[in-house]
Amino acid sequence: MPAVIVAAEQENILRIHWDEFTFGLIAFAVIFAVVLKMWPRMTSALDERANQIEGGIERAKKAEAEAEEIRQQYREKLEEAHRQYAQEIDKAREQRAAIIAEAREEAQVEARRIIDAAHAQIEADRQHTLAQLRTEIGALSTDLATRIVGETLSDSAAQNRVIDRFLAELEQTGDPAQAEVR
Amino acid sequence: MRAIVAASGEGCQDPHIFNDHGCGFEAPGTSLFFPTPWLDFGIPLTSGITKYTLLLLIVVLLVSAFWLVTSRNAKVVPRRWQSIGELTIAFVRDQMVRPGMGKHGDRYMPLMLTLFTFILAMNVMGIIPGLQLPVTSNLAFPAVLSLIVYVLWNVVGIREHGFGGHVKAKLVPSGAPMWIMPVLVPIEFISNFVFRPVTHAVRLFATMFAGHMLLAVFAAAGFYLFNPDAGGILSVVSVGYSGMALVGFLVFTAFELFIMGLQAYVFVLLASFYIGEAIEGAH
Repeated sequence: MPAVIVAAEQENILRIHWDEFTFGLIAFAVIFAVVLKMWPRMTSALDERANQIEGGIERAKKAEAEAEEIRQQYREKLEEAHRQYAQEIDKAREQRAAIIAEAREEAQVEARRIIDAAHAQIEADRQHTLAQLRTEIGALSTDLATRIVGETLSDSAAQNRVIDRFLAELEQTGDPAQAEVR
Repeated sequence: MRAIVAASGEGCQDPHIFNDHGCGFEAPGTSLFFPTPWLDFGIPLTSGITKYTLLLLIVVLLVSAFWLVTSRNAKVVPRRWQSIGELTIAFVRDQMVRPGMGKHGDRYMPLMLTLFTFILAMNVMGIIPGLQLPVTSNLAFPAVLSLIVYVLWNVVGIREHGFGGHVKAKLVPSGAPMWIMPVLVPIEFISNFVFRPVTHAVRLFATMFAGHMLLAVFAAAGFYLFNPDAGGILSVVSVGYSGMALVGFLVFTAFELFIMGLQAYVFVLLASFYIGEAIEGAH
């Protein structure tokens, strides 16, 4: 009977035999020891990686901020340049207008001067011509009169009176001709 | 395989279907889980040095080698082996430990890693050709692990809440009226202090036991059904049936691999929930 009981005990699938239990405990302890040994190495590598990744992210953020700042600076510079350019253009346009106005004024002044000078010249020429004509016509008239009258007017005062009268008459009749000259 | 062959035709000259000796099919029995000891201690309630002991040794070497190789020269930029180790760590942490214990779990990671890799390796021994016996199909081994978790559960609970606090948290459900306590407290005691560690171990053991039995039946049936010498149509029928058994064996082997991983996962997940619960106190 004991043998049967032992056999039945041996075939019990829910057996927990203490030798196997002990082996299991030892096996667990060995593996646990190995895992405990490797754990710090693994975690330090993992933590170090996490740190580096975080550091990398931070560096990237910083670089990005820097780049953004520089970009802003460039943009400002560009805007400044545009503004200056526009100012230069405006200034140049003003200058051009000023130069043109000045030149026009000068030209007008010059033209007026030339015209005035021409007028003065014409007037002078006219006066000159008139004076010359007056003397020449006087001489001619005297000549003519001498020849016609055949006598020399000895009295110069009378002579002048005659000439003046003649000229006055001549001027009265020569008015249209005189207007043409002007 | 020798055990299966013996089971299907002990003392029969032709242990196949359609034989001339009237030998029937003998399904493999529980003797599969009682390998003959190579060294018998001769002491009651011992098994001696058996196939289980050998497989356990292989498991210890394999798992230790796995962790030593993956953590050797652990660098910030991981190499292939280190990546595998880190994947295992991340899997155990994110799928088992964190759901059960939250951030507290990081302290228990080495234990949980040990449990997971140890159990998984013991289970997978069941489908390694030539070995083909899950170590966890012997209740002694799951019992060791569930006992460790059970002791830790008590230690953590007592350390966090004192002996009275721990026992009260586990025996007296909050919110229940006083008059029902005489019924509830014994139920809670049996449930939390007796059945839970037992089911923790038996769940793993029973699935591995049943899975191995199923594979053994497919293998034995395939062997029994294979009789091309039966003659005529019988040969064709026997080989056809045998082929079906082979397909079943292969499909269920793949399924077993899944179950082996699943059971290791479930064991560690439950361990994590138990210890997490002990840290939290009243449930």
